Amino acid sequence: MSERYPGYDVLAKRTGPSWNAQTRRVVDQRLAVPREPRFLSASEFETLDAIASRVTPQPAGRPPIPVAALIDDRLLRGRQDGFRGAAMPREAEAWPRGLRAIDAEARAQYGLAFHTLSGERQDAILRRVAAGDAHHQAWRGMPPATFFTQRLLSDIVQAYWSHPTAWSEIGWGGPASPRGYVRMGYDRRDPWEAAEARADNGVQARRDNRRVR
Amino acid sequence: MRPAARLSDQNAAVLALRDELDRLDALIRNRTIRNRAAVDLCQNDPGRMRAARRLNGATGVLAASVLLDSAVEHYRGSFANPAMILPLIVSSMTIGVSAHGFIDKRPGAHRIRGLTYGAAMVTGLFGAGFHVYNLLKRPGALSLQNLFYGAPLGAPMALLLAGLLGSAAERTRNDPAIRGRIGRRIGRRIGMGRLVGLVSGLGLLGTSAEAGLLHFRGAFHNPAMFAPVTIPPVGGALLLNSLRGRGGWMSRLWLRLTAALGLAGIGFHAWGVHRNMGGWRNWRQNLLNGPPVPAPPSFLGLSLAGIAALDLLDLRCDE
Repeated sequence: MSERYPGYDVLAKRTGPSWNAQTRRVVDQRLAVPREPRFLSASEFETLDAIASRVTPQPAGRPPIPVAALIDDRLLRGRQDGFRGAAMPREAEAWPRGLRAIDAEARAQYGLAFHTLSGERQDAILRRVAAGDAHHQAWRGMPPATFFTQRLLSDIVQAYWSHPTAWSEIGWGGPASPRGYVRMGYDRRDPWEAAEARADNGVQARRDNRRVR
Repeated sequence: MRPAARLSDQNAAVLALRDELDRLDALIRNRTIRNRAAVDLCQNDPGRMRAARRLNGATGVLAASVLLDSAVEHYRGSFANPAMILPLIVSSMTIGVSAHGFIDKRPGAHRIRGLTYGAAMVTGLFGAGFHVYNLLKRPGALSLQNLFYGAPLGAPMALLLAGLLGSAAERTRNDPAIRGRIGRRIGRRIGMGRLVGLVSGLGLLGTSAEAGLLHFRGAFHNPAMFAPVTIPPVGGALLLNSLRGRGGWMSRLWLRLTAALGLAGIGFHAWGVHRNMGGWRNWRQNLLNGPPVPAPPSFLGLSLAGIAALDLLDLRCDE
């Protein structure tokens, strides 16, 4: 899965003693999210997909993490943080409006839909939004910079790192429910934690990672 | 007349002196015989044998606590140092010879038992040294954090105590007339009862201090966590106090209470394991993460040894 944690797949813990039914249910739900939009419109979804691949670019050679679909699923199920900036509408309102506004900025500046632009041009628009230098009427009073930091960045990053593929890449053990960690000292590893490969122990790390349950 | 009279005077004095010497000789001989009789009486006293075997049993209980606790904790430490396997081996052997000693009704010490108890003492002492070393090499050295989460200083002492009590058991059943090593000399000088009482009394105080430290780490979140910092120290103090006179019924009572607490502690700690996420079904995590289930019986072992010490003191010929 990754060079640093060779042979480590957090999903190997699925049927082991580390995860309970609730943990399996939550992770299964995430893995089963459909790849097409159910809450957002098709064009909003395309815009979100393009933004996500600028914020959290993904390595080739593995199935991508469906960031846009995870956010769409969250919106569909009405999940909210429970707090928001005073000038911000709720999630279900902020996301479609922000996506439409970013697409509108792209069309106003380049005459093309956001998702068809080159990466550099997409970045240029996102930088303007981040700096609050976006004034298209499609924002309808929602502050672009606040949308960028409080909604766009945080939701995309959270969606990306909520996926087991990302966990395996960084050697994270997934939810500690019910089994947590008992070897807390520096440089100590529980047998159900990912083993990090160093210059001298690549083979051993691969062997250890195969035993993770 | 005069010289003859002087001679008879001298004869009378010599005779008187001889009589006196005979009397003293008879007195000394008589006392020695009476002492030997006392020794034989003690040696054949079924109470002494019973106390010695109880002491073997108490040692076994203490060693069992050490075995299970060190097995769990050293497994958690992934046996990072190969020496971490030692207390498991030595305490297993200690349990074995203690069971043997508990069953064995023949008087006299047993060579293998004695050697094993000696090994337990040495391992306990070295273990304590290793644990101090482990603590001091951690960042922060002697900080509360390291006292809480580093290698526990008191734990290896339990193995040392087991070795001491087991050796005392062997010496108690040994012929006291045989002179020899230091421990036996001390035992002869202050009496085995007092020696065992001293070791188990101090052991109870030390174990209670360790329980206090770790229960403080646990913020005494359950009122029952105060029990091992109140009952055993009282038992230990009363035991130490009765060493000055005869074994009092108060110390016997408190030692029984402490023994009961040691057993109840298993239940309390099992409850603590159950309270962690996943409960006993998640034992792989919670046996390590929760309160140590095998730790409280060390109170049981030490208070049984204390009771055996009181039994020895009550024999009275243990001087």
